[in-house]
Amino acid sequence: MTDYIQAILDGLLFGTTYSLIGIGFTLIFGVMHKINMSFAAASVAGAYCGLLALYATSAPWAIFLLAVLASGVIGFLIYLTCFRFVPLASPLAPLMSTVGMLLLVDEIVVHLTDGMPKTYPALYDGDPLEFGTFMLRADLMGVFLAAVIAMAVMLVLLYRTRLGLAARAVAQQPVAAQLCGVSLQHVNAQTFIITGMLGGLAGVMAGASVGVLSPLLSLPLTTKGLIVTVIGGLGSLPGAIVAGLMVGAAENLFQAMRNVTERDIYVMLLLFVFLVLRPNGLFAAPGSRT
Amino acid sequence: MDFYFGLAQILGVHTLLGLSAYVVILTGQVSLAQAGFAAIGAYVAAMLTVLAEWALSPALIAGGLAAGLAACLVGFPALRVKGLMLVIATLAFGEAIRLFFFNFDYQIAKGNVKVGPLGGEGFRQIRYFNEHGWSTFEVMLFIWLVVALVAAGLWWMDRSRAGAVLRAVGEDELAAQSVGINLIAVKVSAMTAGGFIAGLAGGIYAHYTTHIEHSNFGILPATFAIAYPILGGLSNVFGTIAAVIFVQGFLIEGLRFMGDWRNLLFGALIVLAMNLRPNGLFDAAATQRLLRLFRRASGRA
Repeated sequence: MTDYIQAILDGLLFGTTYSLIGIGFTLIFGVMHKINMSFAAASVAGAYCGLLALYATSAPWAIFLLAVLASGVIGFLIYLTCFRFVPLASPLAPLMSTVGMLLLVDEIVVHLTDGMPKTYPALYDGDPLEFGTFMLRADLMGVFLAAVIAMAVMLVLLYRTRLGLAARAVAQQPVAAQLCGVSLQHVNAQTFIITGMLGGLAGVMAGASVGVLSPLLSLPLTTKGLIVTVIGGLGSLPGAIVAGLMVGAAENLFQAMRNVTERDIYVMLLLFVFLVLRPNGLFAAPGSRT
Repeated sequence: MDFYFGLAQILGVHTLLGLSAYVVILTGQVSLAQAGFAAIGAYVAAMLTVLAEWALSPALIAGGLAAGLAACLVGFPALRVKGLMLVIATLAFGEAIRLFFFNFDYQIAKGNVKVGPLGGEGFRQIRYFNEHGWSTFEVMLFIWLVVALVAAGLWWMDRSRAGAVLRAVGEDELAAQSVGINLIAVKVSAMTAGGFIAGLAGGIYAHYTTHIEHSNFGILPATFAIAYPILGGLSNVFGTIAAVIFVQGFLIEGLRFMGDWRNLLFGALIVLAMNLRPNGLFDAAATQRLLRLFRRASGRA
């Protein structure tokens, strides 16, 4: 029994990565009503860019900072190439262009690293915290804290700044927002940069908690991030946070109960349970099923 | 020459995969589960020919039916959501099928070797074509016969009332519903038909490669399946066929001399194509123009 509780604890800590990826998908969906399929791949690519900092210094914070900045730039580039000049009225075109981007980003990473996984430094090294029979891994705690801070910053940004106000206005009523003098293109581009930075953080966290970074990470992160978005409710920020933690915990629990190869089947089944019982997700507003 | 026959076989299977996604996309739904349905068709058809020693055609049809049944069953819960949610739901379902076959063992002894699917190692020794002495050319003919049948069926369906109904749902669900079209029935039948075609594609794939494993049916073929109709355009089946030839024949085989860079170019070209021709290479306007040219040419002759 204690093993299972330990598994859930570890899963909750790792689940913050899924939460961050889920937030990225959900914010872009909220503002543009489009899904950016290349988001998780771009996040992993950003984490790779962070490794370039090792040429100058070996401090973990430098890697972290560079990864976040680089991901912001990648996010902007994705906006330019996949959304800016593609007619958004047809739903298929941006979907396909971001899928193309997903393949392109992955291949660039494979090409530049010769397909070899890279070791990734932990954000924070220290003794594990112990509570009776349970313990919390220190590196996962570091990841968890970073994610909590990022989410707090995100909430402040969305609900306490003019940029957040504009983004929420565009999400609710694009035409009305435009009439009030909000530039759709600016808001969209800013959303891509901010979610890109968030994704970079998630990429760093995934790399730091797994210990190695490989292009193979991007597809599982994409599927898990999308599942989190659906379970939490498309466009809902709190939903993405809660669902990310839930998926992380459930995944680790299934792994402890069964094994690694079967784990993801049960995660997918969890998604189907939600689709049947709560197709709008945990937190989505009623009637917004798109 | 065998190289070109082999290439034609690949093109044929990919065309079937693209056509399976085409039916679904006509109703405005995007399904990323087509590779999963192909996996069901592949495993079922291969187990029937290898373990139960059925003939090829009934085994392929049985594989297609099994995949169609799975598509029908997944249609009901998945179609409670639409649009982008459906993309995610089908992506997850396709992955779940792949992971099921990753964990699927069913081996029986045959002579002194054990045959059948074995989890991560996959399913070896699908030797139907070898054992019955089919040449590469005959296999290719068989594949393209199936492709021609399916494409002709879809072409005919497109011209019939069924095609109009599918397109009506794809263009505007509300309008379609108000003229009395049963949305759920239409979408689930499109999913079932798509699943059947994907199952056929999988069954054929299993027999010409002789070895299948779970990783053959991952997210990449699923993306390819939806990429063909979207890149080619949805005005008729030839858009899909043209896109398959462009992607598999030109981008993948034709650019082989570029080595590693080919994969980079592939993603970049999809992004570029969507920027330049968001409705596909052969959208409705282009098809009209081509038809007019064709008519003028035949009128003169």
